[in-house]
Order: sequence, then structure tokens, then C-alpha cells
Amino acid sequence: MEAVRRNGSPEVNRSMEPHITSQKKYRRYNKYIPALLLLLPLLLLIIGFFIVPMLYILYLSFIQTDGLDTSNASYSLMNYTRFFTDSYYLSSLWLTIKISLYCVIVSLLLAYPVALTMSKCTPRVRGYIALLVASPLLISIVVRNFGWFLLLLPNGMIHRTIGSLGIDSSSLRLLFSETGVVIGLSNSFLPFMILAIATSLYNIDPSLEKASAILGASPLRSFFSITLPLSLPGVVSGSVLVFSLSMSSYVTPALMGGANVPVLPVVAYDQMINLMQWTYGSAMSYVLLGVTLFLVTVFTRSMERSRFKEVFR
Amino acid sequence: MQALVNDVEIRGAFKKYGSNIILNGINLEVKQGELLTLLGPSGCGKTTTLNLIAGFLEVEQGEVLIKGKRVNDVPAYKRDLGMVFQTYSLFPHMTVYENLSFGLSIRKIAKEEKNRRIGQALELVRMTGLEGRYPRELSGGQRQRVAIARALVVQPKLLLLDEPLSNLDAKLRHELRAEIKRMQKEVGVTTIFVTHDQEEALSMSDRIVVMNQGQIEQIGTPTEIYANPQSEFVFNFIGKSNQLSGRIQTVSSHMITVVLEDGEQLFVDPDNIMGADKSCAAGDPIKLYIRPEKVTIDPGSSTEPYFNHHTARITQMNYFGSTWEIEVSLLGEFMHAIHPVIKPHWKIGSEVTLGWKPSDVMAALK
Repeated sequence: MEAVRRNGSPEVNRSMEPHITSQKKYRRYNKYIPALLLLLPLLLLIIGFFIVPMLYILYLSFIQTDGLDTSNASYSLMNYTRFFTDSYYLSSLWLTIKISLYCVIVSLLLAYPVALTMSKCTPRVRGYIALLVASPLLISIVVRNFGWFLLLLPNGMIHRTIGSLGIDSSSLRLLFSETGVVIGLSNSFLPFMILAIATSLYNIDPSLEKASAILGASPLRSFFSITLPLSLPGVVSGSVLVFSLSMSSYVTPALMGGANVPVLPVVAYDQMINLMQWTYGSAMSYVLLGVTLFLVTVFTRSMERSRFKEVFR
Repeated sequence: MQALVNDVEIRGAFKKYGSNIILNGINLEVKQGELLTLLGPSGCGKTTTLNLIAGFLEVEQGEVLIKGKRVNDVPAYKRDLGMVFQTYSLFPHMTVYENLSFGLSIRKIAKEEKNRRIGQALELVRMTGLEGRYPRELSGGQRQRVAIARALVVQPKLLLLDEPLSNLDAKLRHELRAEIKRMQKEVGVTTIFVTHDQEEALSMSDRIVVMNQGQIEQIGTPTEIYANPQSEFVFNFIGKSNQLSGRIQTVSSHMITVVLEDGEQLFVDPDNIMGADKSCAAGDPIKLYIRPEKVTIDPGSSTEPYFNHHTARITQMNYFGSTWEIEVSLLGEFMHAIHPVIKPHWKIGSEVTLGWKPSDVMAALK
């Protein structure tokens, strides 16, 4: 009997006092209005200058036309089939992925020791190092790349230094090569990797290392069985960040790689601006976006389901 | 004849951080199989002492010996010890089984022996069947049990417990207290336990080391520490205390007479003067300490020749279920008495007689 009454009561309330329920509902939405108003300027900006153009590019990518004239266009998957059947464009995609992976590896190897040092320091020293790490972000990427450009020139400082040691460096191609692009990109994105790893290292309970030591683990073993696995969330988020940024970067490959390193963003830019192939360029942009999202998702998911899945909770 | 070797010996350990002296010449011996507690307020040096034994800190002077071997230069991971931390410190990315097998794998124990030992350790802490759980899936009490199992499974030379109960709620704390005592006796491992909780220390230890400001105040069994404290600090830190000050009137070999401010006379057993120096003379100021449970209200006539009496006024009565705590005002000081039952005429404001035996008073000379 108790159960029946309990089950019945909301029904009764709803039918007998409908105005109260609707008033409550009205009040419930009321409290979101100030938040909505505060978000409105940015929301409009994003819709107007990001979402709409993105949708327009998506629309363009499905159009088959000659040049800029869309008056007698027809819809088709032509742009996409052209991309996936032409080995030049496929190899450009592969090059982009390869360079991005190199960037992830290089920045990981350079960033981890710095992050580890930061996590061992007092908060004061840690602050100074963080400032130092982030300071390159204050300078424009073009300026930083141009700095590397001068250093890596065939008669630049690095080549001359190697030459002065009596080693023939003429076969070494630093500029206008994949090496140059990887150097430039890794340098640009290193701060993101360092800060991502450092953040996850700060969160490790320092007594875990003590516990590991007292159980007999040498510092090296403690690092590989405790510290490294527990810092994986930072490693993964840093890698995803650097990978996505490298996949979509245009300035550095254009400047440091030139025509020798035709990564997809550079090729797409060429199609759009120089060849006026807007629809094909649009399709290329979406292929880049899709592949990046796919790889990042597969990577994150596989890490979250790995042996160390507990770390990602 | 074989000389008896202590499991741990600390000789003249001195440690400072900057200009802050943390340990000022500690000497300590831990006997085989005993549960020794380092007790003291925060900052007294008890955790530092434990970390010296564990190998997480180095002494500036003095030496640390484990099983007769000097370990000053041996890093923590080569000392073969077990330790349980305040924050459990289970490896969050490993299951209970993996946490326990961590130390065994380092010691290259064969798979079968490993499984047998893990099963045994989990049985000891009553956690059998939870091998596959991750620490996140365990309650605080369960985590600490696993942590104890992880420390014991490697069969360490010593078990170090760094305030292992202070993150648990009161009920669990009581439960685990008894459990740790049982396990320690069952395994027989020499154990050093750090705590700031005097109740924990009294109920669990074979011996207690009371520390204060980087020095050892007293070492003794729980009963010695409680009933026969050797300094004012120990008396005040362990248990509750009542304090009175007065001046010595007469001194004889079997009794000291003390006068309070109001001219009343009290008797003190001369053996109960705390500290090594027990010499005193008439006219010396003296401080008297009495435990609340030794104070009787309305004692009636006593057969004891030197029984102490004093009148006081009741200022507060607190009920604790099994006992009453009665607060009285005496010479402007508040004193407390613990009674299992109260009499009907004891009311706030009423005047009562207090009584206690001379042997129940501890005295400190100034």
C-alpha cells in the first residue's frame, strides 16, 4: 500500500497543480540566462568566424567545379577520390604524419628530463623554470623560425662549427629538409610537452617513491615501474598536443622545408591560394582534420585500455 | 657466549635543517621482536628518527646500526626493510596482487613461492580474495591492510610504521590498532612505530620512547611511562594531569611536607620526585602533579597515615557514559577528578573534599 501511494503521488501532483510545475521549470531555465549572456559575445564570434566558415569549407569539399565558379556545380565525392587515388597527395599525407611523429618523439625525449627536474625542485625554483620554459612563447613563431633558418643555413653557424672541427658537413642537409622542419617544430612545441608532463609529475604522491625504495627498488627501477607509468597521462596529453599542432602547422614547414618538404597544410595552401582550387583544397583540409582526429583518438583510446588503464582514471 | 645484538642501534644521532636542530644526540636501542613506539608532539624528531633508520635521511653525526651492521652509507633500497606510510602509498596503477609482488620480484622470488607468500600475507591482514582489486576500489582501512601486507610479504629485517592510523576514522583506528599488535606478535618482526597519539602508544607498545625537541625524554614500558614519568613533559604529554604548586616545608626520608598558598599541608612520597636529581630542602618551590583518576571526591576517613585532603568547589560536571569528569576549582586552578558514579549532593557550586594518596602525587622541583 505504501508503494502504491508513493508511485501515485507525482501523478497526482502533476495533474492537480500544473501551474506550479511550469513555474518551477521557468525558474530552472531562468538561472541560466546570466551565464548565457556572459557567453554570448564569444559564442557569436565562434559561430560567425569559425563554425560557419568550417561548414562552408565542408560544403565546398563536396562540390565539383572548375576554379572559383560555383554556378554550374554538381555534388560529388570527386575531390576525396582524387586525393586518395593520387600517390603524390597520399605521400604528402604520410610525410605530414611522419614529421609529426618525429616531433612528438624529439620533444618527448627533450621534455621529460626537464619536467622531472621541475617536479623535484622546490616550488620557488619550479616557478622560475616554468617561466623560462614558457618564455619562447612570448616571441612570434616566425621570428623563432627565422632564427633557426639563419643557424641552419649551409654557410650558417652550425655548418661552420661542424666544419671547423674538421668534419665535412656538405652532405648534411639541415635547411630545406625534414630535419629542419622537425627541429623548428619541436622547438616551438617543446613548452607544451614540458608543462603537460610536469603537471602530471607534480600529482604523484612523493611517498610512492619512498615506498618503492624501501621495497628494494633502485632509483632506476622506481622510475620505470612507478614514476613513468604514473606520468603517462601527461605524456599522452603532451603528445596529442604536439602531434595535432605539428599536423596542422604551416609556417615552419613552409619556411624551413620549402618545396622539399610538401606537408599537407602547405599543399592545401598551394591549392587554395596559388592554384585557386578551392574545392580540392577544402577536401584536403578535411582529410587532414579527419586523419588527425582519427589518429589522436586511436592513440588515446589504446593508452586508456592498455596495461596502465588505471592511471587514466 | 654470544653477545646479544640489538636489531637497531642509534648512537649519538645529530641532525639539523639549516639552523634548526631536529635531533640533538639520540641514543636508542631496539630489541629483537619488540614493538617500540616513538611518541611525541609534531616536530619532536620522531619521524626524522624513523627516516634515519629507513635510509631516507642521513645523520650529520653519529651512526645507525641495523642488526649490528653500520648502515650510515647504505641507501634505503639496500636496507631490506618494510615500511607503512600515513598516506597508504599503494601503487595506484597496480592491483593488490601486483603491489604485493613488487618487492618479491625485485628479490627474484620464484613464481610459486611468491604466490604462496602473497596468499599468506593477505590472509594475515584478512584481505584474501581481493588480489585483483585496484587501490582505488578499496576503503581506507583495506588500503592500510594491504600496505601492511606489502611491507611484511618481503620478510623485512624491520617493520617501520609512520603514523599508519592517523588517516583513518576513530572506529577503524581502534580496530587496526589491535590488528597490528596481533600481526606483529604473530610474525615476530621487530617494529618501530611512530605516533603522536598517546593512547595508541600505550595500548600497542612493548616499550615507548617519549621524544621532545630532538631529545629523548624517557624510555620505558607503557606502565612505567604512565605511572612513573620521569619529567614534567612526559607527565603532561601522556594522559591528563592536575597541577598544584607549593613550597617544601619539611623533608624526611619517607615523606615530604608541602604547603600550598592557602596554608594547607600536603604529603608527597620523596621517591615520586621526577628526574634524576631528587635532592631538595625546606623552602624550595615544588610542583605537584596528580592524575584525575587518582583524585577521590568525598574520600571519607582513610587508614593511610599521610592521606591528603583539600576542600574545593565543583565548577563543572561532564558525563562520558561510563564515567563522570568533575571539574573543581582549587586555589584558582582547575582540577579534574574521574568517578564512575556521582553522589546526589555533588552539584555545580557545592563544596566537596578531595583526597589522594601521597604515592599518587608526582613532584617536580624547580
